[in-house]
Amino acid sequence: MTWAIPYIIYAAFGLYIAAGVASLTAPRRNTLAQILITSGAACGGAAAIVMSIAIAGGVQDITMAGNTLRLHLLSVFFLYIVSTGALLTSAFAIGYLPRYAETFSLRAVNTASAVFVGGMTAVVLANAPSIFLIAWEVMSISAYFLVIADRSEESFKAGFLYFIVTQIGFFFLLAGFTILAQGAIFGTWRIVSENALHVGPLALTLSFFFFFIGFGSKAGLVPLHQWLPYAHPQAPSHSSALLSGVMLAVALFGFLQALTLFPVIVAQWTWIVIAVGLISAVFGALHAAVETDAKRLLAWSSIEHMGLLFAAVGIFLALQEHLYNPVVPRLASGIQLFVALHIINHFLFKVGLFMGVGAVVSETHTRSLDEMGGLARRWPFFSGAFLVLTLSAAALPPFGAFFGEWTLVQTLAVGIAALPPAYGIAGAVILAVVGLVAGLALFASVKLFSMIFLGRSRMTHAAGDTPLPRMLVIPPVVCAGLSLFSGLLLIPFGIMGGALPRDWFAMRIVPGAEMNGWFIFGMFALAFLFAFAVRRLGRGEVRTTATWDCGQDLSPRMQYSATGFAAPIRFFFRTLLITRKTFIAEPVSPQNPWIKRARLEWAVQSIWEHWLYDRMGEALISAAQLIRRTQHGVVQVYLLVVLATLIATIMLAV
Amino acid sequence: MNIFVMILQPILFLAVAPLFVGIVRKTKALFQNRTGASVFQPYWSLASLLRKEMTIPEWSTWVYHVVPFVVLGAAFLLALVIPAFAVGFLPSSMTNVFVLTGILAVGSIFLVFGGMDTGSTFGNMGSSREMTLVALIEPTLFLALGLMGAIAGSWDIGSIVVNGAALPWVGMAPVLLALGALVLAALLENARYPVDNPATHLELTMVHEAMLIEYSGTYLAMLEYASAVKLVAISVLVVHIAFPFYIATPIASLPAFGIAVAAFFAACAAAAVGISFIESTVVKMRFYRMQEYALLAFLVAAAALAAAFVIQA
Amino acid sequence: MTGRPTEPVKTDDFVFESAGENLKKTISALYGGRALRIRHIDAGSTNAEEYEMTALTNAYYDIERFGLSFVASPRHADILTVSGPVTRNMEHALKTAYELTPEPKIVIALGDGACTGGIWKGSYAVVGAVADVIPVDWNIAGDPPSPRDILTGILGVIQQGRKEI
Repeated sequence: MTWAIPYIIYAAFGLYIAAGVASLTAPRRNTLAQILITSGAACGGAAAIVMSIAIAGGVQDITMAGNTLRLHLLSVFFLYIVSTGALLTSAFAIGYLPRYAETFSLRAVNTASAVFVGGMTAVVLANAPSIFLIAWEVMSISAYFLVIADRSEESFKAGFLYFIVTQIGFFFLLAGFTILAQGAIFGTWRIVSENALHVGPLALTLSFFFFFIGFGSKAGLVPLHQWLPYAHPQAPSHSSALLSGVMLAVALFGFLQALTLFPVIVAQWTWIVIAVGLISAVFGALHAAVETDAKRLLAWSSIEHMGLLFAAVGIFLALQEHLYNPVVPRLASGIQLFVALHIINHFLFKVGLFMGVGAVVSETHTRSLDEMGGLARRWPFFSGAFLVLTLSAAALPPFGAFFGEWTLVQTLAVGIAALPPAYGIAGAVILAVVGLVAGLALFASVKLFSMIFLGRSRMTHAAGDTPLPRMLVIPPVVCAGLSLFSGLLLIPFGIMGGALPRDWFAMRIVPGAEMNGWFIFGMFALAFLFAFAVRRLGRGEVRTTATWDCGQDLSPRMQYSATGFAAPIRFFFRTLLITRKTFIAEPVSPQNPWIKRARLEWAVQSIWEHWLYDRMGEALISAAQLIRRTQHGVVQVYLLVVLATLIATIMLAV
Repeated sequence: MNIFVMILQPILFLAVAPLFVGIVRKTKALFQNRTGASVFQPYWSLASLLRKEMTIPEWSTWVYHVVPFVVLGAAFLLALVIPAFAVGFLPSSMTNVFVLTGILAVGSIFLVFGGMDTGSTFGNMGSSREMTLVALIEPTLFLALGLMGAIAGSWDIGSIVVNGAALPWVGMAPVLLALGALVLAALLENARYPVDNPATHLELTMVHEAMLIEYSGTYLAMLEYASAVKLVAISVLVVHIAFPFYIATPIASLPAFGIAVAAFFAACAAAAVGISFIESTVVKMRFYRMQEYALLAFLVAAAALAAAFVIQA
Repeated sequence: MTGRPTEPVKTDDFVFESAGENLKKTISALYGGRALRIRHIDAGSTNAEEYEMTALTNAYYDIERFGLSFVASPRHADILTVSGPVTRNMEHALKTAYELTPEPKIVIALGDGACTGGIWKGSYAVVGAVADVIPVDWNIAGDPPSPRDILTGILGVIQQGRKEI
């Protein structure tokens, strides 16, 4: 079977290229382009399946176009993610993009999507740093075009910030690879890791942090995260789903891939990784909890989950130093399992949520949660699927993401007991921070669902009463179904090659820390049965009446808005958030200054943006103003400078 | 025999829950120098509610109807996994402490959905406040329960409870501190003083009751029963962790089971009196000071952590 | 916790009007009225009735010992006590609250204003007695009725509801 792998991969890329060409030449044929991308993704998925079989059969590399492609579980895992993401979002886009034919240039969006997905597939399959970096750039630049797709001023600003940060990241990556490979970035990974053995400690440290900055900026870790909440909402929703669910995972893949090249990982580095990851998680969850734009909320939530993942990777690396301790290999396997489960679960619920929100926004024509409401009445089935996705995002039992989070939390708890005191206390602190992040993420998910679907519509004008087209509903429903059962399905497959005892139905980190997904499901089913039985005891009629309004007429605006719902969080965390309130009162007529039309503008600003980005922007502009003084226009001085530079260069060379 | 015990434990909780609430109210009344209702009053109250009609607000959605089932289901699960008088009869994956926090979270957030699904401000206010409180208390719950499990060597509730019987008095210090944090968290989860007043009529002072305002008849009975079951389960858990000496294990003899069941009733009574003592002596805090309360709970848990490591050294 | 100043209350020596059908139906459906929830609606009173009613929850009168409790929402209520002549502003609110209250329910008019319109009877600002707006099952007269009167009245409701016809 392994002979087929190169051809399937060629087919995948060929279909992506065909999709790009089709969108360029025949932009109106949206369905054709999406079907081509979907087929390409299917080929990618098929390649991943065949590669998994090959790896299980013990095959190490295959030859492709004269080069060896190393078959690595890491690449295959992420190839699954990329292909499934492309499949689901392109299917969604069949119904979604025609609704936005006026706003987005379909040609630009579909071409960029095809190139984007192709780029990500190439990143995951790359076997040399050069190919990796080229594919990385292709991925980033095409993502830029997705961000600016609606050509509004907001999108251009967001795209500009994204572009700068991503290019900064790219140069850090280039530097990192060059240092590690000692210049041989065109060699395969094996050559790079061999060269890495000869790198000195300072260069190794630099290279590690360059990688961390490069991949971390793409994944949305603080302080280089600010582009994410601006850029992800601007793209069309199916692309946002890919940007949040898949591209961030690819960034994590890159980091893991780079880590495999290092001969040794120093413990102090990992503490910084853990710290940055946890801080990102806290800020991501906090801002998601106070955010009122639906897609921006999801973007901050992605920052939070990526922060948790990077922190988990850091913990895994930190544990490698203590493998003499008998419990530690099991802890490390637990963390590994969490990372694997959480990447899949985060991908499922994030892609599902973005598509769901995209469908909602296409009907309500607003992204603001303050203006939505009551949609569960109109779309009961769709809202049910969205509820499943929301509960999965909140990591509640029995949904899939709970099992991943359980693994993390339980491993940390076991670490408190099993590790030496300093590490035990660190584990406890991390556990508490994860608890805070989980609580705030719970808040954000509940807010998202409640504001969109429950109660009454807060919009002053009524939105259309049409049911959602099937193509918009099916992909989120698929994601919801998968995220519901991922806990049951994944745990048995997840314990691969680790130190955890393998059992089809259960997982045991240490005796006393066990989890069996089937029991949890059974428990919840029993609970529902009990509740039904109690309901049967009730013998009253059911009658619909008005909502209790204390005699006032209830207007839909009297409900809590998303802003009001999150007000306690804003208050309690006011040291970490900057609230900007502008109160503008204009007199209605010039003769009467006492009657005014008042408006309150209110925004939450991230302290990173205020204290870091704005300050850096101001510093750059002041520096530029200073340098401007040299542009005085006197030609003689310029010639003198050229002469001086020439003399200095010759002196240096000699 | 095992099956019998497994079924009896949740049934005991479910049967005793309204009585527990009745004892709390009766004791509170006695503290206030009045007679108060009979301790069996909540049973009649729930029975009457089951006979009543249900009036549904017009702006609610299907989620309004699902909420009482999930909340009652979550309460049932608490009655199932928390040991009433015996440990070791359920598989440990069902009684893991982090599954317990998950169940608590499911119950809370569906009640929050219930409050949001009304179309009026009262329910939304309760939901916003309850959601904030749940978010703030999560770190304390994780830390306190994780620490108790670390001390016990197992994160199964049963093992944590029984471990207290084996520890020397010095070793109990971190467990008692963590238990203190857990008590503070339990008061918050069950909407008791000083976090919330379960008997208030002023919507601006409500957290839990505000979310129930639009429920009536059978649904209201389910929700009130669910909060009673949650209260008794968590209270008995707290008492058991502090005094685990009478807990039965699978190897116990029949008289030991009898003593354990009697101890369960004593624990219920003690917990009920304890709760009403707190409610009669402590003042309800204003909501915008809740970050102080949550921080206090967290600091107590952190103190437990410090104590655990000091003792270990 | 030394003494219990709660006063005992007898209801035998009062003469009540014959109880209506709705009253009997409600009390018998609700297990003889062992656990009734009261929701008070102020439909424009002078608040004197509310003061007296609030006194019912203190340690001296202690309405809780009869199984009666006050609730915040009409949806939770079995008994609606309405005080005050129904002002025009409160007419809609009263009707809505009555509609929201689940069956079976009892309405008690509390105070002279609610029973007959009191001193505001015929005024342009009031609709009239509570019975003009929603069906009333019981009247408790007085301006305001003392807590003892209110308590006897409510207990009388329960007692009459339990009687066979």
